[in-house]
Amino acid sequence: MSIQTELIGLPPRSPSRFASLRLGDFPLIPALILGGIAFVAIFANVLAPHNPEIGSLTARFRPPVWQTGGSTQYLLGTDQLGRDVLSRLIFGARVSVVVGFTAVIFAGVIGTVLGILSGYLGGWVDQAIMRVTDTWLAMPAVTFAIFLAAIVGPSMWNIVIILGLTYWTRYARVVRGEVLSLKEREFVRLAIVAGCSKWTIMRRHIMPNIINSAIVLGTLMLGVVIIAEATLSFLGIGVPPPQPAWGLMLSDGKQGLMVGRWWLTIFPGCCIMLMVLSANLLGDWLRVKLDPQLRQL
Amino acid sequence: MKRYIARRVSYCLLSLLLLSVTIFFFVRVTGDPATLLVEPGASEADIAAIHQQFGLDRPLWVQYGIFMVSLAHGDLGQSFYYRMPVMELYLSRLPNSLLLASVAMALSLLIGIPSGILASVRVGRFWDSAGKLFALLGLSLPSFWVGLVLILVFSVYLGWLPSSGSGSALHLIMPAFALGWYFAAAHMRLTRSSMLEVLGSEYVKLARLKGLPQSLVIAKHAFKNALIPVLTLAGINLVIMVNVAVVVEFVFAWPGIGRLLYEGVTFRDFPVVQGVVLMGGAMIVIVNLLVDILYAVIDPRIRLES
Amino acid sequence: MRHDHRGSLIGSDLTRRDVFALAALGLVAGMPRSSFAAGPQGQLTWGIHVSLAPTWFDPAETPGLITPFMVLYALHDAMVKPMPGQPLAPSLAQSWSASEDGLSYDFALREGATFHNGDPVTAEDVKFSFERYRGTSHDLMKDRVAAVETPDPEHVRFQLKAPWPDFLTFYATATGAGWIVPKKYVEKVGEDGFKKAPIGAGPYKFVSFTPGVELVLEAFDQYWRKPPGVKRLVFKSIPEETTRLAALQRGEVDIVYSIRGELAEELRRTPGLTLKPVLSPAAFWVYYADQWDPKSPWYDERVRRAGSLAIDREAMNDAITLGYSKVTGSIIPYTFEFFWQPPLPTYDPDKAKQLLAEAGHPSGFDAGEFFCDSSYSNVAEALLDNFQAVGVRTKLRPLERAAFIEAYAHKKLKNLILGGSGAFGNAATRLETYVVKGGAYVYGSYPDIDALYQQQAAELNRKKRGEILDKMQQILAERTVYAPIWQLGFINGAGPRVGESGFGLIQDFAYTGPFEDITLKGS
Repeated sequence: MSIQTELIGLPPRSPSRFASLRLGDFPLIPALILGGIAFVAIFANVLAPHNPEIGSLTARFRPPVWQTGGSTQYLLGTDQLGRDVLSRLIFGARVSVVVGFTAVIFAGVIGTVLGILSGYLGGWVDQAIMRVTDTWLAMPAVTFAIFLAAIVGPSMWNIVIILGLTYWTRYARVVRGEVLSLKEREFVRLAIVAGCSKWTIMRRHIMPNIINSAIVLGTLMLGVVIIAEATLSFLGIGVPPPQPAWGLMLSDGKQGLMVGRWWLTIFPGCCIMLMVLSANLLGDWLRVKLDPQLRQL
Repeated sequence: MKRYIARRVSYCLLSLLLLSVTIFFFVRVTGDPATLLVEPGASEADIAAIHQQFGLDRPLWVQYGIFMVSLAHGDLGQSFYYRMPVMELYLSRLPNSLLLASVAMALSLLIGIPSGILASVRVGRFWDSAGKLFALLGLSLPSFWVGLVLILVFSVYLGWLPSSGSGSALHLIMPAFALGWYFAAAHMRLTRSSMLEVLGSEYVKLARLKGLPQSLVIAKHAFKNALIPVLTLAGINLVIMVNVAVVVEFVFAWPGIGRLLYEGVTFRDFPVVQGVVLMGGAMIVIVNLLVDILYAVIDPRIRLES
Repeated sequence: MRHDHRGSLIGSDLTRRDVFALAALGLVAGMPRSSFAAGPQGQLTWGIHVSLAPTWFDPAETPGLITPFMVLYALHDAMVKPMPGQPLAPSLAQSWSASEDGLSYDFALREGATFHNGDPVTAEDVKFSFERYRGTSHDLMKDRVAAVETPDPEHVRFQLKAPWPDFLTFYATATGAGWIVPKKYVEKVGEDGFKKAPIGAGPYKFVSFTPGVELVLEAFDQYWRKPPGVKRLVFKSIPEETTRLAALQRGEVDIVYSIRGELAEELRRTPGLTLKPVLSPAAFWVYYADQWDPKSPWYDERVRRAGSLAIDREAMNDAITLGYSKVTGSIIPYTFEFFWQPPLPTYDPDKAKQLLAEAGHPSGFDAGEFFCDSSYSNVAEALLDNFQAVGVRTKLRPLERAAFIEAYAHKKLKNLILGGSGAFGNAATRLETYVVKGGAYVYGSYPDIDALYQQQAAELNRKKRGEILDKMQQILAERTVYAPIWQLGFINGAGPRVGESGFGLIQDFAYTGPFEDITLKGS
């Protein structure tokens, strides 16, 4: 461990040996992509040329405009029910953004709170929470999701709940680790000596320093959650049709792969890939920038 | 040291106990397996007969008691769907899953470690980015989709590999890749940060000052030390992989634990779900325990601290 | 080249590659074993869509569904069973007769019929098989049958407590009670032993089984009807349909079950592969769960009729099942006994809108939720579009299969339900379960229909009974209690090595059978 000097009350700063990394190298493209997706999600109503949920069986399986049989009416082609793929992609962004961000925040809040409590309070609280975390982790995420889906039934918000409840454990563990090391820091020790209550310390000193890790973890979990949503759709318990979701489009279109209807899966697949990749690259950069000591991520 | 181990073991048992209770009651909330095993319009008597046959008509805590007692004897109960002992089913499929996970893990390390090293050393900006991108790509694509595309390209179109099932090394390649690619990014990241840490250490700085060539420094010292956390993570991930392989096993008709679990859930086959989850949980808990003990052996501060 | 017949060539190439790959990966033992290519002469391989369960080896445990019969027809034989051209064909029973008063049935066993272990099929085995039967409707059977007598080893008599015209239907088709297992063997090895190594009287013997994965059977040349055409049968479980088709295209399997949608188109287009559609008796419908609630728009029969008129069944049929389903106006399959032919439903969205306007919904209405089994989401989505087109707005709620069945049966669903059934029986049994008060899936009933049902249950005269059942179905159609859609076309596939596939030989049977008739091409 290198020696760090710290001013009391301020979070630790990055040691100079990492200066060789280009910290000012903001990943522009990933950020733009994510921003673009969010933009599309918000303005979907205006941007989409057709209704994403209703199609006509006579217009099934039209290929994209640049192939024979394609038309400018359906730029990226149509699916098995004659619905416009482009419109579905646009509205699907909404689902991905909402499900992705909300689930991540949901999981993050639960996991961070429990992680802080566990790490800081220690003792039996720590043990109890850790046992629960272990138990939860031992249950395979997909199984857990299927169970929950069987109980609450699938709907977009239920999926958010399911994903949130499945993934909070990642936060808890990491946050707890962070808190454990933070506890030993000077500024925390001083706060204790100064007579601050446990809750104040957790709120004022621990939490702000944890936020960084939580955010970084959040960007990484975003990708995990989006992929999980796609997998749940494949298993038949994802966001219910006819609401368009990229994962669902990917799953619905899998037969199309075999028959040469590539546009049904390649486009949603690319969207998922772009979103997850961007989130990961951004997360990586954030990790380096905010706190290079986050090894466990 | 002994106290430390004893304490950790007791925590393990507690976790497993909690898991058993959770999964036991959880499955029973999801529905009634009897409705799936009879055809529509079956009489109440038919359904009641099935309940009795499976012991589902007894009060919950009695069922749980019976379950725990059997567990103490190594008996995970009888599958509703297969009518055979769950332990037998599990043990027959476990080697398949372990095999798949091991090969997938090997592949993911094969992708992850070199790209992690490249990313940390930045040999050439293109290759480091390419490697990183390839690893991250695995994280950005759902494994079922990767699996399907692999089947279509390598099995149907090119005809090189068998499409599904098991039976030869060739059957392993595609599912292992589909499973392993996802974890490659995690290994890449960890390798990279590990390497960075080690490369910044005093020892390496000294070696550089001494004039040793970069590649030798990397190969001899940095690499070995950087690998330790990566391999530990790999160990834990291996067990997770076994549990996570559900979708890949489904797509490739691989006869493993994941598929068994998925079918168990779909058919509301309580004993199978309980058994697989518990065994999986036990594996994870044991591996974690071993890792913790290993760390405690290496770093005395850890056991003194708690 | 998408698919070719390189079966044997791949086999030999792989041996060398195997070794190389093994060495490279450093793996040694513990390879999961299974038979690989469908290459060897005299073997056919099936790729099936479900997981094989040992309960399918035992006719005593059959549920009322058709799935176990895909194995039962190979391993076992019955007294009387559906065969090509004969819904009740004498099999292990050479002949039978019913007494005048309908209280007893006599069966004469076939001479020379034996089990796989050489033991002859005797009356004791028939009695034993009946008594150990515990599958669907077993309590019904036990209630109605007073005794099973074995006057001599070649004859069996069933004594009924009261005349039961449906006895043979239940004994021969709807249950596994008439499928015969060897008493001595079962008693010797026990129930578990029997499931591990079953012995029956069917055309194929059991060789090996990997639970949920693979089943291997071998021809039983002493089968009474004829020695089977194919020496070895292998059944492999491949639940993912794209993978299943890929296996067929590569020649890894010779026959596949259940190929849906676009994959069926692909099958049809691939040279060397044959599409084998079978009209299954599984009927599908939309159920108006709220029609008994005066506050619901569905209370008005015109609204229900409008719903039915809004469905473009032909287009859906073409799109989803390649036209192989059969549009129907009844929830009862065409081939069921006592089926009454209702007028075929038409597609008339304009008329539907008109009816809705008459009923007080000129601009449609919000119909709430539309529940379905998630594996049929594609059908439900098409229906949703149809309803939307006439102004009936609804929200789709696909439920995972198990959850759906349970919710449906426990009356937890409402508004609209996409339901279906492939259960055995006749018109009366179907009506009992889905229409008459007290039925498992009945959310409400009409007293006149209920009364008619009670009447027919007591009616001994077959003709009169049929008339009553006709009347019931008529009222059902007039009141549009259901909006029936179709009988599902079950699409299967066969590869180039298959001669007679066994598809479509036995009426209403979605799978291959009889197995002894299946042949390889060129043999």
